Amino acid sequence: MPRIGVYICHCGENIAGAVNVEEVRKYAEKLPGVALARNYLFMCSDPGQELIKQDIRNGLIDRVVVAACTPRTHEPIFRKALENGGLNKYLLEMANIRDQDSWPHWHDKEGATEKAKRLVASAVAKAAFLEPLEDRFVEVAPASLVIGGGVSGMFAALDLANMGYKVYLVEKSPSVGGNMAKLDKTFPTNDCSACILTPIMVQVGTHPNIELLTYSEVESVEGSIGNFKVKVRKKQTYIDWDKCTGCGDCVNACPAKVPNEFNEGMDNRKAIYIEFPQAVPKRAVVDIEHCLSCAKRTIGTKPRIHSKTGEPILAPCEKACKTGACDRSREYNPEGEVIELNVGTIIVATGYKVMDKAPFKEYSPQSPNVITAMQLERILSATGPTEGHFHRPSDGEKPKTIAFISCVGSRDKRYHTYCSKVCCMYMLKEARLIKEKYPDTNIYIFFIDVRTGGKDFEEYYNYCRDLGIKMLRGRVGAVDELPGDRLRVRAYDVDLGAPVELEADLVVLATAIEPAPDLEELGRKLGITCGSEGFLKELHTKLYPVETPVKGIYIAGCAQGPKDIPESVSQARAASSAAAVPLTLGKVVVEPLISEVNQRKCTGCGTCVQLCPYSAIKLVEDRGRLRSRIDEALCAGCGVCAAACPSGVITLHGFTNAQIHAQIKALAC
Amino acid sequence: MSNVQVATGVINLSEGDPGLVDEIKELGGEELLECIQCAKCAAACPMVLAGFSFFNKRVIQAILLGLRDALLDDSSIWACQSCNRCTEVCPREVNPFEIIQAMRRVAIREFALPTLSIEGLKSLYDTGHAVYLAGAGSTRAKVGLPEKPYSTVANPKALKELQAVIRQTALADLGIIPMDESDVTETCEV
Ligand code: SF4
Ligand code: SF4
Ligand code: SF4
Ligand code: SF4
Repeated sequence: MPRIGVYICHCGENIAGAVNVEEVRKYAEKLPGVALARNYLFMCSDPGQELIKQDIRNGLIDRVVVAACTPRTHEPIFRKALENGGLNKYLLEMANIRDQDSWPHWHDKEGATEKAKRLVASAVAKAAFLEPLEDRFVEVAPASLVIGGGVSGMFAALDLANMGYKVYLVEKSPSVGGNMAKLDKTFPTNDCSACILTPIMVQVGTHPNIELLTYSEVESVEGSIGNFKVKVRKKQTYIDWDKCTGCGDCVNACPAKVPNEFNEGMDNRKAIYIEFPQAVPKRAVVDIEHCLSCAKRTIGTKPRIHSKTGEPILAPCEKACKTGACDRSREYNPEGEVIELNVGTIIVATGYKVMDKAPFKEYSPQSPNVITAMQLERILSATGPTEGHFHRPSDGEKPKTIAFISCVGSRDKRYHTYCSKVCCMYMLKEARLIKEKYPDTNIYIFFIDVRTGGKDFEEYYNYCRDLGIKMLRGRVGAVDELPGDRLRVRAYDVDLGAPVELEADLVVLATAIEPAPDLEELGRKLGITCGSEGFLKELHTKLYPVETPVKGIYIAGCAQGPKDIPESVSQARAASSAAAVPLTLGKVVVEPLISEVNQRKCTGCGTCVQLCPYSAIKLVEDRGRLRSRIDEALCAGCGVCAAACPSGVITLHGFTNAQIHAQIKALAC
Repeated sequence: MSNVQVATGVINLSEGDPGLVDEIKELGGEELLECIQCAKCAAACPMVLAGFSFFNKRVIQAILLGLRDALLDDSSIWACQSCNRCTEVCPREVNPFEIIQAMRRVAIREFALPTLSIEGLKSLYDTGHAVYLAGAGSTRAKVGLPEKPYSTVANPKALKELQAVIRQTALADLGIIPMDESDVTETCEV
């Protein structure tokens, strides 16, 4: 006969304000199997836990029911108390009489008290069937995977590498650097972006513990904390990167022109290209879709021989390459190469994408002089299409009047309802850089709120206004094209209480920060969901901001939501320390609340195999026939299989059929 | 610009005068650029309650955008009561009242001032009071006050000094009011 101890928590007034705790205690005392029932103001406090420990030590009880708040936050605390008292920690059952009772039934004290009794009774009924379970431990592979090579990913990788762990850094572009590499200067200190970023890129590229996998993408992720099996596809570059020195001779020779992504489409690159001059690694890539197959040679075919000279007729890129890295006669697998990694933890830092201007028809996106802020960033940058000379796109003239429009696609139900968080600051920054260089430029910023909430940001804003940058509250309604490449901006100045219009030479749209393309798909591969805004969801906004619901997978930077550089770096470094904990411990505890098949009775129908969301079940040959077997390293204890098994031969430990049935029965009576 | 015009007429920012900001800063509105249009001054201002279209906050925004003509075409700035409430409540130490004063100085330079103000200025020159009720003497006497207050009105020497000072100001250069050096107290009915 079990001896169950029932402990009812007042939770201050949280529970006792609606539930007559003493009445519930008296009721619990009489339930079958209950040896004693107590109540206390705060069960989770030290003295509260001490009550449980003493009763165990005194030999009064061998099962515990705590009726309190949510097990999500408090179960670990009470399990620990059982353990310290000398009882197996899985002999605990919790009844949530706060979230599920006192809170929703606050105005029905009698009903709340009755419901508390039912919930306690059902927990007691289950507790009678509890069995001791032992924790499992999983070895942790001493390596980490960082997905995304922007500023967040690079810092996360460097921190882990400096702690001595092996890090694989996967980046989809040919070079690391991410969006930050495209910026001219960075607020609030106006450091030159390249000057502070390039050394970090070089460190990442040369660190002995970092294996840089650029131009690569994650194909699939299996396994769980400590033991993730990751398949990464190294995309085909059509260049032998071991031989390529990044000299760029091939690039100069190539005749094919393609819009340049790095310069936001404002100039062209070649079909064979190096992403940008400071790229790490500095290697060439052939964009096979745009390759002209010069000398009538598709990739992987031998050159024709010149009828007169007897020499092979090479493509210009091949001819220019002195190292033999560009050899078009080699057989290339267009699929690239899939490699398999085994890592203990994963950090996702896939960054963001700046929204395109095309959807905003009211702002004349067809005009070359209506540009996005990221395009302006490239115009201002010394490595950009104009080499830092401030020209407007249509005619290369220096703009005299510039209008910035904020919240384009942000705080807008048709596109993104969230605030993109960095636009106010980057607009101010760009306006300031222009105004400092060309003081006679007229700059107008149309805003709906100026949001400069960051360290040193308000000062930055004040400085910009002191420069004479004009601020107008009011979302721009229209930008019309006028003859002579001019643009008419129409708005309503809320502060003036009057409609206004402005003729501008250049209009800059501060378009929204969007999740990186395919983030949702990557999330699916990892088992992490995206919030309604499309960014990856953290485990808990306040307390676990870099953790995800999947143990061992962490997030950093704009993959989680719009952020500026200081914040992205802070979060990256937080994620790297969180990801280092399991690596340092070398093993992680896994709860034994997982499923097990009674193989002797299994009929091998395969129902469970299909249903398991973690691919933890396989049919294996056993005594002459196929029967299912659950890999305990992969099982997450979701219980899908146990519920589905038509023969009822799967047991989910901690939630056995006997336990659940007893619980339901007690609730029903 | 009247209320109606504010509601219907579109203001062309391209025609704004970028020099206006500097002019105002020179004429006493040094803290102009500190204004963040929070509207606290407007909440304290009697001009708002009286329904004038260019009260402190809006005057400042109009100056920031260089809307010189809009301000000059409107009589609002002359409605300021110099109560200084705005200056007391402004969280950014803009001194909105000083900015209105500065804008008045701009207006005077351009002879854009209402007739009422000319009369006030003339009275100031003649009596030392912008508003002076000439017939108040007997009323004052009835309540036991001296017929003339102890100010420039009762003190021809002080008034002379004041007039000398006023003749040194921009007002004299502009010639908005006649400023003869005769003993005005005698000619003027005080
Ligand atoms: S569903 Fe049940 S019977 Fe079917 S294979 Fe799985 S364990 Fe066996
Ligand atoms: S409980 Fe069953 S379905 Fe769930 S993960 Fe484990 S084996 Fe798969
Ligand atoms: S003057 Fe001062 S109180 Fe008035 S809007 Fe500007 S900052 Fe606010
Ligand atoms: S001083 Fe003028 S502007 Fe300021 S509150 Fe008084 S009336 Fe309004």
